[in-house]
Amino acid sequence: MTGESESSKSVESTQEDDSQALVLQDLSVGYNKPLISNINKKIMPGESIAILGPSGIGKTTLLRTIAGLIRPLSGTISHDYPERSGIGYIPQRLGLVRHSTVRSNISIGARSRCSKWYPALLPLPSELKNDVDSAMESLNIMDLADEPVRILSGGQQRRVAIARTLIQKPRIILADEFLGELDQDNVKSIIAATKKVVDEIGATLIMVEHHEERAIEMADRIWRIKDNQLIEEGDYNQ
Amino acid sequence: MITINKKLVLVGFTLLLLAWLSLDDLVEDWSQVENAPDKLETFFTEDLWPPDWSVLEAEEWADGSLHKPNGDICDEDMELFCSKAWTGMVITIKMAFVSTLIGFIFAVPLASFAAGNLTPLPVAIPARVILAGLRSLPSIIWALLFAIALGFGPLPGILAMTLYTIGYLGKLQYEAMEGIPNAPMESAMAMGLTHSERLIHVVIPESSNHLLSQLLFMFEYNVRHGTVLGLVGAGGIGMYIDNYINPPFAYDRAFALLIVVFVVVVIIDLISMFIRSFVTEEGDVRRPKWWTVLLPAGTAADYYNKLTKGRNSDNSLGESE
Repeated sequence: MTGESESSKSVESTQEDDSQALVLQDLSVGYNKPLISNINKKIMPGESIAILGPSGIGKTTLLRTIAGLIRPLSGTISHDYPERSGIGYIPQRLGLVRHSTVRSNISIGARSRCSKWYPALLPLPSELKNDVDSAMESLNIMDLADEPVRILSGGQQRRVAIARTLIQKPRIILADEFLGELDQDNVKSIIAATKKVVDEIGATLIMVEHHEERAIEMADRIWRIKDNQLIEEGDYNQ
Repeated sequence: MITINKKLVLVGFTLLLLAWLSLDDLVEDWSQVENAPDKLETFFTEDLWPPDWSVLEAEEWADGSLHKPNGDICDEDMELFCSKAWTGMVITIKMAFVSTLIGFIFAVPLASFAAGNLTPLPVAIPARVILAGLRSLPSIIWALLFAIALGFGPLPGILAMTLYTIGYLGKLQYEAMEGIPNAPMESAMAMGLTHSERLIHVVIPESSNHLLSQLLFMFEYNVRHGTVLGLVGAGGIGMYIDNYINPPFAYDRAFALLIVVFVVVVIIDLISMFIRSFVTEEGDVRRPKWWTVLLPAGTAADYYNKLTKGRNSDNSLGESE
């Protein structure tokens, strides 16, 4: 994770109860110049947070920074997530391998649960194969298992992306507008399926969302970005 | 109203002018062009045409027996299978197949180290230097080097084509790998997958269309190039072509063999199209009728819109019109 040398200090400085939290300290994110500055947040395990704000304001950049894909401009991100499978990231375009089947795509997530020394050419161990089947069943895509992802509808592709992330059993899920422009029925069923599995694995969820009502439905906390600052709104869990 | 991009026109015109100035600088005597068509016509009508199709037959010795080019008795049902064209082409295809496959096996990992989205620059640059080194020597020079070390025959040809394949295919492949969308790579990186896991489960499937296309192109290239390598004694159909374009000249036979090579290349291209159809999205889109490519764009679009309306009355495109 970027800024780990400093981050270890900040982890030590936090209380023992917070040892499993994700801590953003004096964080500034952006490309060359900051899009969001001075972020100081602590996210406890199991919390769900929605980030709202207009396009181009830095929501995706913040998510990618937390995912470790880009370096923060300043500040630290500290957590104790495992190097493999600890972070599940669903990009805006879902990040599916279009020419691979549904099963292969979900197996990519399952593979992150193997040791990093497990040979990449070997098939998954049988218990993980069973988990792949269970993940497909829980998201109602079992009948699509051997179809290439490129022929699926938008809703079906979103289910595959969610299944791929959930099977990782990540400590945190970073989802970038993963509901897209789906119709209401699809949104409801995907939210229900996601919530169920997120609750099961007790993961933290940070999602970027355009639709306020969806954000309120899914999240305990709302972060809104305005004037390069991240502002926390009321606790929607109350 | 049609708007003309003046900058684009200026750049295009400048490039054409530069090309013309370079050509004029290189060509010292333009008068050599004057009789070129006549000379070409004479060469074609007197030396090449008609092609001598005896290359599709077995060699007939003085005692009337039929033989393969290597002197063995022809015991095949069809004489074609004992001909220089067939035996030479089979050797060339085998050489191309072996070198393309081995070259591919080495090119993929090397390309993965050279791809900027998979490795940091300190790894990518040396990998690119190795690939550039392998392809900077043309395969005919590699074949000469191996022929000096190993003597004549298919082996130096195979080794030459293999090295060139690694260099050439490796370059095409790392560019294809760099061209895949970022999103699947970012997901894989966030979940902590290793280089080999990302390569095997994300990059190769995602760029499979390009990789397969390049692999088949390289096979076709090696078949074509096998004809050139024959000139340095690497065996195959090129060796027979070399025999015919040297004294005593038999250009009509060489021409017949070149037509055979052309036919094989076309067949490989058709097979390639068929194989690639499994990984392309062409099948999802209806193909246009052949004659619509001759129509102006607007007329062709009108035709398709009418056709779509007729087939699917509640089509959104149809409704919007």
